[in-house]
Amino acid sequence: MKRSLILMVVLMAVLVISSFATVTIVMTAGAVGAELQVLQTQIKEFMQQNPGIKVVLMPMPNSTTDRYNLDVTYLSAQMPEPDVLFLDTIDPPAFADFLVNLKPYFTDQELAQFFQGAINNDTYNNRLVAIPWFVDAGILYYRADLLQKYGFQPPTTWDQLIQEAQVISQKEHIQGFVWQGAAYEGLTCDFMEFVHSYGGQILDDNGKVVSDTPQVKTALQTMYDMIYKYKISPVGVTTYQEEDSRHIFQNGDAVFMRNWPYCWPLLQATDSVVRGKVGVEVLPEGTGFPGVHHSATLGGWELAINKYSEHIPEAVKLLKFLTSPQQEAYKAINAGQAPSVLSVFNDPAVIKAVPLFKSLYDVFLNAEPRPKSPIYAQISQVIYDNVNAALTQQETVDQAIAKMTSQLKQLLGQ
Amino acid sequence: MSKARSDPLHKSDPIYALFFIIPSVFVIVLIAFWPLAQTFYNSLFKSALMFPQNKIFVGLSNYGALWQDPRFVNDLWNTVRFTGWSVSIETVLGILVALMLNKKFKLRGLVRAAVLVPWAIPTVVSSEMWRWMYNDNYGVINSILMSLHIIKQPIVFLAFPATAMPAIISVDVWKTTPFMILLILAGLQMIPDELYEAARIDGANAWQRFWSVTFPMIRPTIGIALIFRSLDAMRVFDIVFIMTKGAANTETLSVYNQWTLFTRGFITPYFGYGSAMSVMIFLIIGVLAIFYVRMMKIRLD
Repeated sequence: MKRSLILMVVLMAVLVISSFATVTIVMTAGAVGAELQVLQTQIKEFMQQNPGIKVVLMPMPNSTTDRYNLDVTYLSAQMPEPDVLFLDTIDPPAFADFLVNLKPYFTDQELAQFFQGAINNDTYNNRLVAIPWFVDAGILYYRADLLQKYGFQPPTTWDQLIQEAQVISQKEHIQGFVWQGAAYEGLTCDFMEFVHSYGGQILDDNGKVVSDTPQVKTALQTMYDMIYKYKISPVGVTTYQEEDSRHIFQNGDAVFMRNWPYCWPLLQATDSVVRGKVGVEVLPEGTGFPGVHHSATLGGWELAINKYSEHIPEAVKLLKFLTSPQQEAYKAINAGQAPSVLSVFNDPAVIKAVPLFKSLYDVFLNAEPRPKSPIYAQISQVIYDNVNAALTQQETVDQAIAKMTSQLKQLLGQ
Repeated sequence: MSKARSDPLHKSDPIYALFFIIPSVFVIVLIAFWPLAQTFYNSLFKSALMFPQNKIFVGLSNYGALWQDPRFVNDLWNTVRFTGWSVSIETVLGILVALMLNKKFKLRGLVRAAVLVPWAIPTVVSSEMWRWMYNDNYGVINSILMSLHIIKQPIVFLAFPATAMPAIISVDVWKTTPFMILLILAGLQMIPDELYEAARIDGANAWQRFWSVTFPMIRPTIGIALIFRSLDAMRVFDIVFIMTKGAANTETLSVYNQWTLFTRGFITPYFGYGSAMSVMIFLIIGVLAIFYVRMMKIRLD
């Protein structure tokens, strides 16, 4: 009798204490541009609304390849933390088995508000393993002031871009066109845009390797010629990632830049040399082939929950908070990241702060995904290694394409 | 020896010794041998990290496959190149600077401390720093070369095989020469002045004094420094991973190993293969260590 009474009291005490105690959620986060600061503000607000939950941010390295490696470490160790993972668009298939199926936690109406291309991207084997947080698409930044000075229109074809960049860069003694050419995931994105814009493909809709075509060769040749023939891109572009190219463009040292939307608020910041002088446009299209079109690679980042997390309900709460229209609008305005919720594109405050979301709405909507495969990281490495080898003259364009094709076929067992 | 054994005070020594050694042996087994054994065990299977249930025993065939892998052979050669160049340059520079710092001059203590700064900076930080210094647009190295009119166009050091490996080797030389200096300086300070005095009386000039007194005396120290540095250089990872990620034919064994274990071995059944590679790197380094130790022993005897 006495013993059970003590047990009861202890149990009560535990219950009372645990209801006051806070649950700690660990979340991985990016730190490119302004996004970390913005996220910190959002997290603060979330914690004020939910006093029982404490969120700890774990900043990740800038390169998506490094982030992937870290996620492999956490997940294969079956650790309960980090609870909330910040994944690149290409990651969900690889990590699917380690992530919580979010379908039961979201109603169909809630899911209908999202950008459907991204929802499809995050669905693997009929499980919704991540929720889109922001979408990305490769776009062309140009110096509106310089184009006007020389009487040019924003380029619609690569040939036009080359011609304009040549004239302006020679007269102004600055670089013509900067992009991402280092041997990493970003180069695959850039290369895909060139390939698609010339009407080519690396894998067809059935996943068959179709990279040994004149279109793909022309795409790679164009990239190569920009560096060595037309000299509009510095040789150093073969070592640049996103931030390297942004530094040059933001310093006023380049006419054109291919990059993601996150650059916009930074380029417009008060300390930016090019503030008020920048325009954005869809990337140019190729010429000379049927099926040439303006292409943008679909990028973006997803939020997912670690299957081993001990706080799944609280983590879902955080996901819903961060993907709510208000928070997405706040993030779009302050970090320049395109919302994953469609209605936010029409938010007047968002349009005012980042006009490109409205003007380039179709670009986001039609952005082209990269191959959806659990071994995507290996597919991509074959692509960027060979493209980078051609751009640094270790292989000729033909050799690089032939090697890429045979390596992809071997990798995919074709 | 026999006296000590009969001495009752020292009789219990072996028991005490065993007592004191056990904890450290336990720690070494736990942190060094256990993971090694685990890695070796993993290397006998064909498996993916994500599907541990689908393990297939393949014996030692992963080890044979390594030598059929052109990327492995190429990276081994890269690693050897890196080690050969960096360690020899570091040794020569280390001896020269240590000899200088062994002379008496004003502010010697300050200079000795200052020399250590590169060694004190974490490799990740110094690699990032050098990556910036090599940058073609804003890097200080290109800026100096351009303003001295040595080059007209900036050199993109990290993009091409001809410059990328030397650039990486320079960073390693900058970073670890202080370590060499430190060890060799310690060796130099052990040499008694009498030896030099005797040499002087015999009429030896500076060159002869170096080869007949200094060098033989610091040879064991150099040997130890060489072991440390070579073993370290053979498993170089951080500098390469940060500066090029293995682009421009700078990939070393450890960088390839990391990629095999993570990117490839997570989903596709290459985790065992990656483990075999880790063990192989261990064996290569082990053979090198034995070779060095043997060489030293002959000298010491």
